[in-house]
Amino acid sequence: MAEYWGIKVEDIFNSMQERFRPEGAKDVNAVFGYDIKDEGKWKLTVKNNSMVIEKTDSLSGCIATMAADGETFVGVNTGKVDATNAFMSGKFKVEGDMVLFGKTGRLFRKFVIAKKKMTVKDYLADMFATVAPRFKAGEAEGLDASFAFDLGGPDGGKWTVFIKDKTCTVTTTIEGKPTVTLEFNDAKDYVDFILGKIDAHSILAAGKAAAKGDINMMASKWPILFEKYKDPMAGDVTEQELLVLKKTISLNQNFSTGPIMGKFLKGLKDKKIYANQCPQCGRLQLPPREVCAECRVRAGDFVEVGPKGEIRYMDVVYYAMPDPLTGVARETPYGSIFILLDGCQGNETLTHFIRKDQIEKIQMGWNEKKGTRVRPVWEENRIADIWDIKYFEIDE
Amino acid sequence: MDRTAVIGVGMTKIEKNKVRETFADMMWEAVNKALDDAGMTIDDIDNVVTTSSDFWDGRTISCMAVGDASGAAHKNVSCVEGDGAYGAFYGMTRSLSGSYKTTLVTGHSKGSQSVSSLITNSAFDPIYERGLGMDMITACAMQASSYMHRTKATPEQLAMVSVKNHGNALKNPLAQLPMKITVRDVLESEMIADPLHKLDCSPISDGCAAVIIAHESVAAKFKQKPVWIKGVSICADSFFFGDRDLSRARSLTEAARKAYAMAGIKDPKKEIDFVELYDAFTYQELMWLEEMGLVDDAMAGKLLEKGEFDMDGRLPVNASGGLLSGHPVIAAGLYSMAAVVRQIRGDAGGFQVKNAKTGLVHGLNGLGGQSHCVFILDKDK
Repeated sequence: MAEYWGIKVEDIFNSMQERFRPEGAKDVNAVFGYDIKDEGKWKLTVKNNSMVIEKTDSLSGCIATMAADGETFVGVNTGKVDATNAFMSGKFKVEGDMVLFGKTGRLFRKFVIAKKKMTVKDYLADMFATVAPRFKAGEAEGLDASFAFDLGGPDGGKWTVFIKDKTCTVTTTIEGKPTVTLEFNDAKDYVDFILGKIDAHSILAAGKAAAKGDINMMASKWPILFEKYKDPMAGDVTEQELLVLKKTISLNQNFSTGPIMGKFLKGLKDKKIYANQCPQCGRLQLPPREVCAECRVRAGDFVEVGPKGEIRYMDVVYYAMPDPLTGVARETPYGSIFILLDGCQGNETLTHFIRKDQIEKIQMGWNEKKGTRVRPVWEENRIADIWDIKYFEIDE
Repeated sequence: MDRTAVIGVGMTKIEKNKVRETFADMMWEAVNKALDDAGMTIDDIDNVVTTSSDFWDGRTISCMAVGDASGAAHKNVSCVEGDGAYGAFYGMTRSLSGSYKTTLVTGHSKGSQSVSSLITNSAFDPIYERGLGMDMITACAMQASSYMHRTKATPEQLAMVSVKNHGNALKNPLAQLPMKITVRDVLESEMIADPLHKLDCSPISDGCAAVIIAHESVAAKFKQKPVWIKGVSICADSFFFGDRDLSRARSLTEAARKAYAMAGIKDPKKEIDFVELYDAFTYQELMWLEEMGLVDDAMAGKLLEKGEFDMDGRLPVNASGGLLSGHPVIAAGLYSMAAVVRQIRGDAGGFQVKNAKTGLVHGLNGLGGQSHCVFILDKDK
């Protein structure tokens, strides 16, 4: 079996079961054929949100069959070959129901190329080989400096990174007098540090590493001069392992109204709107709260206000959150209104909704002039709840 | 370092269900009691630290529910989520900061309004452990078993903690469950999660507490005798439940050691006069005492039998009745702190202990005490 980019045609087929996405197969019930030149034929059966792949001699009964050579097939599946170009140039063909075959694209997660494990030596080679490509010349204006790395242990070595005239060169020796030298007893710690597995301060504090010379150059300037090293193995997390667990956290709660809010809600049942009044500043609170926030005194005296009033502000909502109490999405648009009920002044407003078909007719008063006069529309069966008022409507 | 002192305390009665009162109502009562106790008005308070839990309160930014009543309007207010002792720690640091001289620290909760087991279950990681149905009680039952296995503490000894603390609560008018019960009553009460019977567990409670912490420069300015914070430390253990030796509380040992050192205490067994600690379950009183080095390892049960932790014993523990007699989660650590303050001032009334000069306050957070807070309070600066 031939390999393309280190991958066999069989690898693609053998991993299909693992890469299968049932959610992508909801409206697919069909048998597909694959005819790969010099490799063989495979039959894919998709039914009831599950699948079977088998090697076969005959592709009869397939609703659509794809034909390609091994290189094209592996290339398309791994993203090495552009699928559209390959199709247009005739490198792969589909016979039968092409629309349905197009749906096979969402049946599978991406094929991820497994990588070899990298040793400390591999990493060091890769890290220093990529120093020059990661260099950001624009940040090195007027800079003449050298960074030396003296890494011990069995896999260790010496490197110097020179920066001069906005160019970056790397040697595998330490020469002359570097601007700053970073010494690690064990090169493995350096690799782990660069990969973010251990933190610099712990290694320094433990005496496993030291920086000599212009330490600030290493600590502050290096991260600006070079793009961060990208771990070539970091792509190893396959998409199949990045799961999202859907859970609903449901915590039942009871909320005591206490006597203050209780009086207000009971009032609604009787078609009355009560505010409470601060005995010190005389301010009304609507709905009532236990304590006047401004004066920090108990506000226990009730005053009946409204029920009619004028609109101060209205906000028209087009993108509604679901009603938190029922989970049902509200019909949009709707108008949230701040009403200054008769008997109230200043900011003593009550919040509610305006009748839907009257949104266009509302004049807002802001804090400057009189707004549209409104009155509450009461629910027939009232239960001491904020929806005992269905909404407010224009008082004509 | 500069010193701080607790100069006022106030608490509501702890009750099973304060259906007549909202958070604001409870807060109003506790804060006013603390202000009266200190001889202060709200204008003498420089800043406020509230302590609350969004899950328990059933609302996010749960400190907002008590903003007006705590007098936080127009002041710097910040919230700590966790036990009240942690709120007190933060409050203390604010009074030490130089920006504020006096800090009002509050803690409120109403266990009656929610389902505690669901909330403590939510403390577990959502991907693996939560689904196993662990909650505070089952987690602590496992800890109780491992503690009893290691120390050979007996179910009878655990039961005696319950008998003692419910008995102490008879002298504390704020306690929810003052009860004269026997070891047999405890052992015959319903088994909740082996080895914990119903009477080994603290109840669901509503309550609110407030303390006022002042910098030394103003501590004597007001009416009350200052009770000095001599030592304090918070230490956390690893988070994952299975990472810990459950029969031990390393973080408590460490927190206590640091608090003793800060307070200049060399021999805590001799120098600590009495303790209010976090007895959410009976075994915890024995275990925490040992882990804090206040008694020898694995000896707490035997010393309890000898009456050493009684109100008139060598080292009175939870003379207030402790949390077994009323456990408003979150506020709990502040109730313990207030109890110690009152003992040191000689104001503890019916549950006053003798020679109360140096007292220890203990609060905790997390499952089976994942993190611990220890305060050493003293009559002398």
